[in-house]
Amino acid sequence: MSPRVLLHLGLRSLLLHKLRSTLSILGVVFGVAAVTAMSSVGEGARRESIAQIGALGIDTVTLRARPAAAGSAPGPGLSLRDAESVGRVVPDLRAIAPVRLATLGASAGSQQADAIVVGTTPAYRDASRIALASGRFVSDLDVSGGKRIAVLGAGIARALFPFGGAGGPVRVGDDWFHVVGVLEGRAVARGRPGPIRSLDVNRAIFVPLPALDRGGDARPEGVDEIVFRVADASRVTEAAAVARRVAERSSGGASFEVVVPREILRQQERTQRIFNVVTGAIATISLLVGGIGIMNIMLAGVAERTREVGVRRALGATRRDVASQFLVESSLLTVAGGVAGAALGVVGSLLIQRFAAWPTALSPLMLLIALVMALGVGVGFGFYPAWRAAHLEPMEALRHE
Amino acid sequence: MPTVTDASVPIAHLQAVGKEYPRGQTSVRALSDVTLDIEPGELLAVMGASGSGKSTLLAILGCLDQPTAGEYRLGGQRVADLDDRALSRLRNRTIGFVFQSFHLIPELTVLENVETPLLYGDVPHAEWRERAARSLERVGLAHRSDHRPSELSGGEAQRAAIARALVTEPRLLLADEPTGNLDSATGEEIAELITSLPGEGRTVVLVTHNEGLAARARRLVRLKDGRIQSDGPVPGRSGHLPFRSGER
Repeated sequence: MSPRVLLHLGLRSLLLHKLRSTLSILGVVFGVAAVTAMSSVGEGARRESIAQIGALGIDTVTLRARPAAAGSAPGPGLSLRDAESVGRVVPDLRAIAPVRLATLGASAGSQQADAIVVGTTPAYRDASRIALASGRFVSDLDVSGGKRIAVLGAGIARALFPFGGAGGPVRVGDDWFHVVGVLEGRAVARGRPGPIRSLDVNRAIFVPLPALDRGGDARPEGVDEIVFRVADASRVTEAAAVARRVAERSSGGASFEVVVPREILRQQERTQRIFNVVTGAIATISLLVGGIGIMNIMLAGVAERTREVGVRRALGATRRDVASQFLVESSLLTVAGGVAGAALGVVGSLLIQRFAAWPTALSPLMLLIALVMALGVGVGFGFYPAWRAAHLEPMEALRHE
Repeated sequence: MPTVTDASVPIAHLQAVGKEYPRGQTSVRALSDVTLDIEPGELLAVMGASGSGKSTLLAILGCLDQPTAGEYRLGGQRVADLDDRALSRLRNRTIGFVFQSFHLIPELTVLENVETPLLYGDVPHAEWRERAARSLERVGLAHRSDHRPSELSGGEAQRAAIARALVTEPRLLLADEPTGNLDSATGEEIAELITSLPGEGRTVVLVTHNEGLAARARRLVRLKDGRIQSDGPVPGRSGHLPFRSGER
């Protein structure tokens, strides 16, 4: 029989029993829907962490004082001297920059915005992969002269100069700074805070380290973070450990944390793998259940249509023809279930994004896999009923009541 | 591929054919030592009481079952040598079946039922409709093409079944008690139709309880307990027994 005729026969038979067909594929529908929605959550998390880590770079390390535990006095923190020691000790260092941070109001003309003000040195640009859209970054002369110049993150530039042409004086906190450069916008993960506390460079204003006035800071040498980048990404973990030891020794046992995006990436990958295994297990179980439902219905169909099978055999259908007819039916059923399930899963994924505020992402490949698996279930679980139908004895089938 | 063309050889040749069905430890003998030649163009009636082996004989003739002893040749071809594909091909092209309870597929229209054998043959798809329509016309059922089998009377259903059997132009038509489920008037019509079919190389084998129907054949084989009891021309053929349906 030609595929067209087979398809026609199958469709007809399924449409004849609409309710039964619909009920029989519910298992497949919900199985595929659950898998689609879950994998969209996993994919969303994966893309988010990749975006975050991509922003930080896998060869950078951020060293900062651990927030003091409640009740105890704050530790001595990091200082410029620590930055120097780390720079001397860590092997294969590419760039290192001390960082002071403050959140201050910024204004230019009538425009106002809250900004993260970053006081740092020129090396920060390389250490943190900063790309300039226009102008220049903080220079050595700016630092040594304590000049009041500023480089604006893309978002802040847009907020303060909505009509473009960022330049001239801006007020940051209580001081005036002269804008010398604007950074390129950087994609940052939206939504809930990710596993990495990372600086949103779009909202940052970079100024020379000495120019960031920290008011009555008891420690004029103190810095909040030390950011460095190593030349060989595979040795970043080692470098981070060295840097932490250096800082801890110099501060007399205070504890510091290091943020190593590469490690976090690894951890994320492990979590992702577990998530994938769980998703896969659920997919397998639900498709198994769906498949058993299909097999049940197909077996009932074969029993009900025993006489029809006998008639078709008498009229010249080979065993293969009979088997194909039933296989096409079960495959059509599960593919329909797969399509409906994928659609439901897409809706589910959008609902999760909307109401749970989790980032979700649908990969076309995942949808394709879901459909192929549904087809596989149809063929796999339709096989036995089809085989049964094909091996009915024609004479007995004809006498079947 | 088996083809049936030579008019000089019997269309069907059975040599000492036997059939046993296993029943637990023992077995039931449904046919023994049946030797029979069926010539092209014949109208042959097979009679016998229930359990005499009529249906088994028909199943073997129709390649729906294989004998356990002896040899069956259809159109010169040893049926025992054929695989499922070749047997199906024979059933499709060489054999036409007409059953007592019509065996139309209830979900399909009359026309689609008649088309069904073409699904399994070589006739191009474009010709199916036309062939089926022609076959229905031949049995006087063209006006019922788009009806469902459930909407047909018994006589109409059997006509549709005959149209289906004829659509592939088979050389051997096997009719199993074709008037058994019909009242005498429609039975008469169907008997008329079936007995008009042999000739032009088409052979009809008619299995029946009904003396009246059997009397319309030219040759009569009587079976008893799975053996041929008699085989010869229908006695009093010129006398033409009245057809009485329902006589069993």
